Amino acid sequence: MAAALRGRAGALAFFAVAAAVPLAVRDQFFLDTLILILLWGALSAAWNVAGGYAGQVSLGHSAFFGIGAYSAALLSARYGQSPWIGMLIGMVLSVGAGLIIGYLSNRLRGPYFALSTIAFSQVLLIVASRWRGFTAGSEGIPVPFRPGFATLGLGHVAWAYLALGLAALFYGIQVYLERSRVGYQLAGVREDEDAAEALGIPSRRLKVVAVTASAALTSVCGTLWAQYVGFVDPFYVFSVDLSIRFALNTIIGGMGTALGPWLGSILITALETYLRATFAGMKTGFAGIYLVIYGVALILVVRFVPEGLAGVGARLRARWTRAHA
Amino acid sequence: MDSARRLGPAQIGVLAQLGVSTVLLGGIYALIAVGLTLIFGIMRVVNFAHGEFLMLGMYLAFWAFTAYSVDPWVMLFVSIPIFFVVGLVTYALVMRGVIHASHNVQIFTTVGLSTALQNVALVLWTGDFRIVRPWHSSVVIRFADTAFNLSQVVAFLIAVALTVALFAFMKWTHTGRVMRATAQDGDAATLMGIDTDRVYRLTFAIGIAAVGAAGVLVAPLYAVYPTAGLQFVLLAYVVVVLGGLGDMVGAMLGSLIVAAVEVIGSYLFGVAWKEVLYFVLFIAVLAFRPAGLFGQRGAETLGA
Repeated sequence: MAAALRGRAGALAFFAVAAAVPLAVRDQFFLDTLILILLWGALSAAWNVAGGYAGQVSLGHSAFFGIGAYSAALLSARYGQSPWIGMLIGMVLSVGAGLIIGYLSNRLRGPYFALSTIAFSQVLLIVASRWRGFTAGSEGIPVPFRPGFATLGLGHVAWAYLALGLAALFYGIQVYLERSRVGYQLAGVREDEDAAEALGIPSRRLKVVAVTASAALTSVCGTLWAQYVGFVDPFYVFSVDLSIRFALNTIIGGMGTALGPWLGSILITALETYLRATFAGMKTGFAGIYLVIYGVALILVVRFVPEGLAGVGARLRARWTRAHA
Repeated sequence: MDSARRLGPAQIGVLAQLGVSTVLLGGIYALIAVGLTLIFGIMRVVNFAHGEFLMLGMYLAFWAFTAYSVDPWVMLFVSIPIFFVVGLVTYALVMRGVIHASHNVQIFTTVGLSTALQNVALVLWTGDFRIVRPWHSSVVIRFADTAFNLSQVVAFLIAVALTVALFAFMKWTHTGRVMRATAQDGDAATLMGIDTDRVYRLTFAIGIAAVGAAGVLVAPLYAVYPTAGLQFVLLAYVVVVLGGLGDMVGAMLGSLIVAAVEVIGSYLFGVAWKEVLYFVLFIAVLAFRPAGLFGQRGAETLGA
């Protein structure tokens, strides 16, 4: 138990604070920020499973997010079904799509794989925005609000705990990937695929499994996000920007680390909320200033701190331990 | 619908129009794609920000036309040196430090650059759709049964001239030969006394100058807005993957194929669905012939 907790004090503190906040704070704006931090973190963690742990960098993960969002929204808006069923259907569809992308990841490396994932999300964007009869096209779908847990019509506090439960689950999955046999095998494949293959690690199958799992997790978040926000816009849910954002949170927080996605999410979500509030009254385009900062931050982080915030934290801790040993 | 099946004069007219449209469009796509493939071929970097330089070229044409009534055709000559310098500066500030880094670092560096440039444009010039309408965009040229506007025809001719010039430069000048040598084997080139950093700098600047010029050329044909580059660059990726990343002749053939898919697809299925066709083509090529239709097998799994 002690060994399992070592080096996880930061994560424990983070989840403890996140759990305590809704008890003390009833301010909707604050709770909303907390929910978004947890959800964005979970999305980035889902991306991290493929991008960080398996080294399959995708720029088309919004495809799975959109599948999850649309499955639940269409099912509840058109057929009056529970979004939980939509979530399951979304997962099944995303597993199918993940297998296709995973197959591509076996044939393509680096930029080729990233390009193929972008193309995949663009195909879904075009279908969702043009197939008026089924998806309502570019108008998007408003998600009906029906109070109750079965219909995900929840208040802010309930949403906060739901998002927290999801975050804890995804954190656990990542910890498993760090400590299990499969996790070590994935790290081997990521660092040197040919060497891993030579050691008898089934690298192709592992990559497909990682990408597919990542797709399913992303889809779950997509469903929850759509139910929380209450609207599905094809140009948002399938956008390249969204895919970049999953990666951005993870890279800033630390790729291939369990807490990294939430560290990145805290920083980026807080920055976005602050800048949006600051520049809200100004001419419309000015809201884009935070995206300029994202872009520059991304360039600087991959260049100068490629291990991200979690990596910097680990380095500082190591230095401190050495100094006080 | 029945009469469309028979091959009458009207149908030959349609075919001629489709054929000429394909060639006109293909020429412009070639100029956009050739810079991308050049940068990839020599630097081994996929420039995810390529479309943003196209967008900046479109804005340059828009502002020159709106503020100073400068025709895009004149602006073209100004844009080439401007974007050459933009390329040099971008290389020095952003690309130089990551040229030997891993794929992931390179991907996210150019992705970050793309996000930053798109939103700089959004902040400075808002998200409004802007339109450039010089006199030549309303002049229609009729030839046999086909009709085209003058902007499109001249854009095609200039694009082809620039692409051919770039091709000749790579083929026959000493600098071009040095660049190709670096592409083939960077280490060997260094041993032969080639300053590879200088080659990369020049390559990036030439690639950006080509796509910036393309932006100025297409400004009278398409709306200008901060994410205008995205649709073109996605298309350019399709082109260069079809032709084999890094292969300049392949890029030209790829442009024609993509243009044909687009023109014929929009004729048969309507404009709304044409992109689906070339993305499906793209994914199929990546899945089954990832080195491109004409490339050597295996290139995509190497350090590429």
